[in-house]
Parts: sequence; structure tokens; C-alpha cells
Amino acid sequence: MPSSVKPPVKTPVLGAYLEGWRRVLRAPALAASLLVVTLATALPMGMALGQMIGEHLGSSTVAETVAWNWNAGWGAEFAAQAQGLGRTLTHEIIGFGGTMKTLSGILDNQPLNPTLAGAVGAYALLWLFLGGGILDRLARGRNVRAAGFFAACGGYFVRMLRLGVVMAATYWALFRYLHPFLFTRVFDHFTRNMTEERDGMWLRLGLYLLFALVLFVASLIFDFAKVRMVVEDRRSVLGALGASMRFLRRRPLRSFGLYLLNGLGFLMVLRLWLEAAPNAWMDITPAFFVTQIYLLVRIWLRLVFVASEVVFFQGELAHAGYTARPPHVWPNSASEEAIENITPRRS
Amino acid sequence: MRARWCLILLLTAGATGLAQPVSGPATAPLSPRNANYTLQAELDPATHTITGTGRISWRNISKAPTSELRFHLYWNAWRDDRSSFIRESRLGRPSYVARPAEDRGSIDLRTLALVGSDDLLAGAKFVAPDDGNTDDRTVLSVPLPKPVAPGETVEVMMTWTSHVPRTYSRTGVIGDYYFVAQWFPKLGVLEDAGWNCHQFHVNTEFFSDFGRYDVRLTVPASWVVGATGQDVPADLVTAADGAHKRVHFVQDDVHDFAWTTSPDFVEFTRAFEEPGLPKVAMRLLLQKEHANNPNQVDRHFGATASALRNYGRWYGPYPYGHITIVDPVTIFNGRAQGGGTGGMEYPTIFTAGTRLLTPANGEQPDSVTTHEAGHQFWYGIVATNEVEHAWMDEGFNTFSTARAIATDRSNDFATVERYFGGFVPWLFPDARWTREITGDRLDVYRPVARADLQSTPTWQYWPGSASAITYNKTALWLNTLERMLGWETTQKILQTHFARGAFGHPTPEQFFAIANEVSGTDLTWFFDAVHRSNAVFDYAVAQVVSTRTPTGTDNVVAIRRNGDGVFPIDVKVSFSDGSSVTEHWNGASTWTSFSYKRPARVTQVEVDPAHVLLLDVNMTNNSWTATPQTSGAIKRWTLRWVTWAEEVLLSYAFFS
Repeated sequence: MPSSVKPPVKTPVLGAYLEGWRRVLRAPALAASLLVVTLATALPMGMALGQMIGEHLGSSTVAETVAWNWNAGWGAEFAAQAQGLGRTLTHEIIGFGGTMKTLSGILDNQPLNPTLAGAVGAYALLWLFLGGGILDRLARGRNVRAAGFFAACGGYFVRMLRLGVVMAATYWALFRYLHPFLFTRVFDHFTRNMTEERDGMWLRLGLYLLFALVLFVASLIFDFAKVRMVVEDRRSVLGALGASMRFLRRRPLRSFGLYLLNGLGFLMVLRLWLEAAPNAWMDITPAFFVTQIYLLVRIWLRLVFVASEVVFFQGELAHAGYTARPPHVWPNSASEEAIENITPRRS
Repeated sequence: MRARWCLILLLTAGATGLAQPVSGPATAPLSPRNANYTLQAELDPATHTITGTGRISWRNISKAPTSELRFHLYWNAWRDDRSSFIRESRLGRPSYVARPAEDRGSIDLRTLALVGSDDLLAGAKFVAPDDGNTDDRTVLSVPLPKPVAPGETVEVMMTWTSHVPRTYSRTGVIGDYYFVAQWFPKLGVLEDAGWNCHQFHVNTEFFSDFGRYDVRLTVPASWVVGATGQDVPADLVTAADGAHKRVHFVQDDVHDFAWTTSPDFVEFTRAFEEPGLPKVAMRLLLQKEHANNPNQVDRHFGATASALRNYGRWYGPYPYGHITIVDPVTIFNGRAQGGGTGGMEYPTIFTAGTRLLTPANGEQPDSVTTHEAGHQFWYGIVATNEVEHAWMDEGFNTFSTARAIATDRSNDFATVERYFGGFVPWLFPDARWTREITGDRLDVYRPVARADLQSTPTWQYWPGSASAITYNKTALWLNTLERMLGWETTQKILQTHFARGAFGHPTPEQFFAIANEVSGTDLTWFFDAVHRSNAVFDYAVAQVVSTRTPTGTDNVVAIRRNGDGVFPIDVKVSFSDGSSVTEHWNGASTWTSFSYKRPARVTQVEVDPAHVLLLDVNMTNNSWTATPQTSGAIKRWTLRWVTWAEEVLLSYAFFS
């Protein structure tokens, strides 16, 4: 279904969110493919780890318990003797604890295992590549087929890559300078004479919220820069960033509200995952599929996030309504399609 | 000004008390009582200063005369960054080195004199018997006008001032919470060979003689005080302006005195009563923020009772009749707050350590509480030299703590990890508490197995691995001994060691002799292997070959010794017809093999099937099976790991 461009009226946050859901629902292959991509990125590392496990266990009878449950003695021995990736196989990957460890690791700026960090870098690059195609697909709101999708990925990749450099520099600076400032200098200053853990806990929570707020603002700016690069076919990264900031400055509450709504969805999924996360002895096949469903929902929510931002932007600026149609070059941009769709109404 | 006068009056009263014979209830001596301290101290919270006066009555119980006294001045370890303690911290505890100057502590002896004689301080000098560090001021040598003969007693009067540090080595202040230990000039131990008075090292704790401590402490009137010994309520004195009070604590037959004070303590009491054991009044001083949680109260008392009951039954009764459990201020940001005071033992008083959020099935605060309460036996009563043989109290106690938990609550605990700055605990029910892994901590010992000979004096251990060799290696070899000899014999060994060593300073050789005597076996080889060596134990199934022949199957089982540690082991070989045979190997050669010509083939081999040798650093290679489940294990944990890695990727992809 073609994207509908309406006159510039205030787009309700909830409406954008729901329309975002609708657009993602109409693109199930997108979420499924992203899950496959995620699995494919993790799988080679998993196979390497599997080889380490196999070499360590050999023909030992210990494998009989390890095959059915977590064996703390074996786990400690394996982690002590393993190198690299093998050291990450601990009880902390089991169940919701794994989620806690990951989220805490991000907010506490804990270093990742180098191999895993490399995979995260490659995966982030992959998202950047796919980002143009995803945004294009969600902006059009219709099936574009694989060729169209990947054409968009390729078409937008260079500008996405340039934006990626700015994003990486920004996040690096936030974690390299702002994080230590908040969680070392500020936290240390206020906790030096603290004798109640409760006070320290509230302070830490406040600093997390502050840091998260800065991250959210940065990610909002980058998100809308991406949206504008695709929906408006902007080539200048700095121009897109400036436009994104102007867009957010003129509607801060609703933009932030949209962000919160999406964040709330994420928290609800985490709450459900807390109940559903499989324990160590659950049969591996259902455990694997339950986890894949959780990951699919996480990807789905990420897509809803993007889609709702696209809808919000399209609803607010009605770009197609005020700009000239660009010359037709295959593959045509989402921007061109939107203008094309609106043309009959204007003539 | 008025308050100042009141304090002067209080001090005057105290000084008068010092000249009088020691007060308080007299009991039949359990110990030599050769180092008796009558102390009076005033805490000034505004300046973090303790001003003290004291009288020491010391009797020479060695076989040799001495012409000097040697005092520990422990707090000078934190006076500057040139002390041996801080120098050693650079290797093992860099956080101590990076502390700001305002965190430092010190102790200055102002006067020192024999009663009725001249000042002794003029001839005193700092000595560094361990490392010759001339900048170290933790040991003071004081020449005497005439030697003190064996059996002779000297009386010494002293005054001193201590600046309370922000906590180092579980001593100091944070906010209004004080835990004050090693705070007065304390005599070393005179042995036949001379003074055993080591400098203060970063790895080590303390060593001193038994005696009577009679201590009066002046603190703000509204503050709660806990200390070694029993409070003498009749001696409570409150200053006329109501701002300060002086409390009085007395304890016989102990070798140290520590105290704590804070306005934020909430006090709870409970009695420990167990048939066949003496009644003990337990006093819990809980931080205000933990006090409204009844679970915290129950857990502290329950864990203390577990130590009093189990250790009391296994080794001997707790004789003091009272014990004080201190809940220290939680250190959640050691970088800023300084070190904690949690998890430390002193006679009749100890610090535990809990957090605001503590899962019911997490082992803390129960484990640390049982451990520190258990130190009343291994340290408090059996006062081994913690500077030279710390494994004798810490190791014995780690073994006993794990055994007590296994006895009382073996299925209760699982592993807890802390996230989000350490504030949020998360329980991993699948990683259950086990005596060997979580109690004795094979995982802590394994990576540093070679670090030091355990028989090296503790203060000379490599700082980075000292605790693993001290606590965990000992617990593991004691547990190994228990599996070798059985609990009944092992208990009898420890019980005899406890009975003979109580209120004294037993040596390692005395313990080894008791082990030989009680077990009726010469265990020298064992102690050579686990204590006098840093050898690593690792036995493995090297190869299993089964060849069909016309008459049956030729089976060969090869076992290897991969480590340099030698230990006799059993090897259990099982066959496809359901039969099995257990071989015994002395473990000395690098490998051995067993051959079987049978109708059946070998299906399973287990080296050390009863898991006797807990120091084996690689248990996985101890077994072999013809039908391994390895592929199932690989599948399970590869897929589990992959799903976790996917979530990591997705979470970080938020930033792309």
C-alpha cells in the first residue's frame, strides 16, 4: 500500500506509534530476515565455542551432566582454562541473568570480550547497511521486493556510513568522557561520605537516567537524521543532522513522547521475558525457540521504533507536499514515490 | 568549654582507674594471661582522633630473658606511602596506594615508662625486622633498663594519640561509623628465640598474647558502642552536659580488643541455646537501613548460631558467653568511600557484611557471618600466628564454614551476581552452592596453584594470590584429608588440635604431629605434597584401547599424571558386562596402565572416582566413557550461548 501523505497537521504520538506497528506488521519478512542476520552473525562464534567445549569435554563422563544442566564445577574449570570467547561461557548467560548482564554492561561501560566486540562492530555495520533499505521499506509502506530493498540499502549506504562515523564518534565520546565524568567523578564526589547504600542506589539510578537521557537524545537526533536522509533523499549528513535537530527542537515533547512509548514497549517485553526466559535444564530445542521468539519481538520493536519515527516525520513535515519531484533514476527514492503519490491531488 | 571540662574530668577519673588494680569480674584463667591491658580512650569525632592512656602488665612466659619490649604501631602503616604495607600494596592492592592523603591514619606514642621509673621512649627506635625498610614505623623497639627474666612481670604506662584513617584493612571511619581495631600500642609475642613482632604487611593479620583487657571508652552520649568483652553497665558514666559517655568493657583470655561506635546502629539481642553447649548471648548491631528488614536480623543470628553450634560440636565449646555481630557500613563504591570493615574477626566481636538488596537464596550475609563467627574458634581461641601461618586460621575456618553451610543449608544457596554498579543482585538458581566450588573455592585456587609454597611465611606470599593459597588451598586439602580419612578421624584431629592449642599459639608442626598421632598414619607425605610444595595435581585418563580377539577383548587403560603433584589414587574401570574393577595407583610415575583380557570391553574409566583429591585442577579429564554425551553438551551450550550473543548484538545495535 502506498504511503499516504496528508496535509501538515500535528501528528498524534499514539497514532504514529500504531501506524508504525501496522507498517511493521505488513513487513513480516523484514523482522524475520533481521533475526536470521542476527543468528548468522552469532553462529560462527557459537561454533568456535562449541569446538572449545568439545575439546575440553573430550570423552569425559562430565559431559553427561553438562548435556542436561549447568555444571558449576565444569563451568568454572572451563572458564579458567578457556581463552578468548570461551571465557564468556559462564552461568551469567543463563535466563534473564544474561539480559541483566548485557544491559548492565552497557550502562556501566564494561568492556566486551574482544571477539564479541568485533562481532558487535560488524553487526552494527550491517545494520547501517540495511538501515537505508529498512527505512525505505517502512517509508513506502508497501512491499518492495528483495531487489528494491537491497537497491535501497546500497543506494543509501555511503551516506549511512558517513552518518555512522559521526554516530560512532559521538557515542565514543559519550562513553569515553561523559560516562566516567558521571559515574566516576560525580558519583565518587557524592558517595565519598555516604553511609547508606540506599542513597548511593538512588544517586546511581539518577545518573543512569541522566546518561540514558543523553543517549536517547543523541539516538533521536541520529534516527531522524536517517529518516530525513531516506524520506527526503538528503545526501548531506551534516544537513540531515541539522534538519533532524531542527525537527526535534520544534516538537520536543511529542518526539520524546514517541520515544517513551517505544521505550515502554521494550520494558513490557523485558517484563515478559523475565517470566519466560528458560532455565539451564530446559530442553534445548524449546529453549532455543523461546529465545528466538523473544529476540524476534525485540527486533520487531526496534522496527516499530523506526517505523513510528518515519510515520511521525512524514505526518509532520509532509515533505512530499512542498518539494519538487526529483529526476527519475532507478531505483526511485521513497521521497520520489511520495511526491508521485501526491501529484494527482495537487493537480 | 563546659563539655571540655567534663571530658577532662572523665579522663582524670580514667587515669585514676589505671593506677588501680584491674576491675571487673574475675574468672578462672583459661589462658596464660601474660599480656594484660588497662586502657582508656576518648574519641573525638570532629578530628577523628583517639587519645589514649594505658597500663600494660606483661609477664615473660618465654624461656629467655629479654632486654627490650617490642610494640606494634599498626596504624603507622597508613601514615605515608613509604611504609612496607603501602609498598606491598602496589603489587596486590593498588587501591590502597591511590588513596588521598586525608585518608591516612597514624599512631604516635607520647609517653612510655615503666611504672615508678623513667621514661622509656628516649631510647626507643623503629625497627624493620622483615624487610629493613627504614621508613616503616610499625614496630617500635623499646630498650629496658634491665632484662626481664622468664616468669618476671613488668608494668608499663603509656599515652598515645591515634588519627583514625578512612578505612584501611577493615579499620577506620566512614561518616559517623567507626570500627576501631589495632588502635593502641600492642606488644608483640616473645618466643624462646626472641620477639615475634613483624611489621604490618598488606597480606597479613595479627599475632599477640592472651590476657585481660579492661577498657574504658569515651564517645558521644547518643552513640551505640560494641566491643570485645562484656559491657559493665554499672560503670557507665555520662558527662554532666549529656554530650559524652564513658563505657567500660572487660574481657579475660583474649588476645586483642576492637570496638565500634556509631549513632546509626540498631541493637538486637538473641540467645544461642543448644543442648550440650554453653549458652551465648548474641548481640547484633545492625545498620539503620538494614534494621527494618526482619530477614536481615534472622540471617545474621542464624548464621552466627550455625557457627557456634557446628564448631562447638565439632571442635569444642565457645567459652565466652557473649558475642557481638557488627553490620558495617556498606561499601558500594570503594574507590571513593575507601575500604570496608566487613568480614573481619576480633575476640568476641566481628563484622559481617550485607547489602540492602539480598536475595533470600544468596549465600550472603550468611556465609561471611558464619565465617567470621567461626573465627572465634580458629583465631580467637586457637591463636595461631596469622603473620606467618595465616592458613592455620583462615584455611581451617574456610573449611569449617563450608562444612557448616553444607551441614545446615546445603540446598539453600545459589550464586548471586551483582549488576548496575553492584546495587542490583541477580540470583542464578542453576548455579547451586556446592561445598567444593563455592565453599572451598577450587575455582579461586586453580589459577594460582603454583603461586607460592604454602609453608612460606604468609607475609612473604605474593600479594596477588595470597588469599587463594591461604584460604582456599587449605580448605581444599583439609577436605581432601576428610575424604581420605573420613570425617570422624578428621574431626578428631581438629578437635585434638583445638583442645591442645586453645588459648595458645600452636605451630604447623604441632598440628601435623597431631594429625599423625590421631590418624595413626604417617601423613608426612601428604603435608609435603599439599603444604610444603606448590606442586599442581592433575591426573587424567590418557587412553583406553579395547581390541577384540578370538578369545575376548584386550583392554588397556592408561592413566597419566599431568601435574608434578603426586597423590595415590584409585582408578575405577567398568566393563560392558556390568562388572567393574577398582585399581589403586601410587600416582608417582608419569603414567601407568592397566590391562584386562576379558570377554567384555571397557565402557567407563574414572580416576579418583570418590573425588578424594580436591586439589586436582582439571577434573574433567579424570574420566572417560565409551558413550560420551559430548555432542549433547556442545549442542546445549553452543545454542544457549548463541542466543545470549544474539541478545548482546541486538542490545548494542541500539547505537547503530
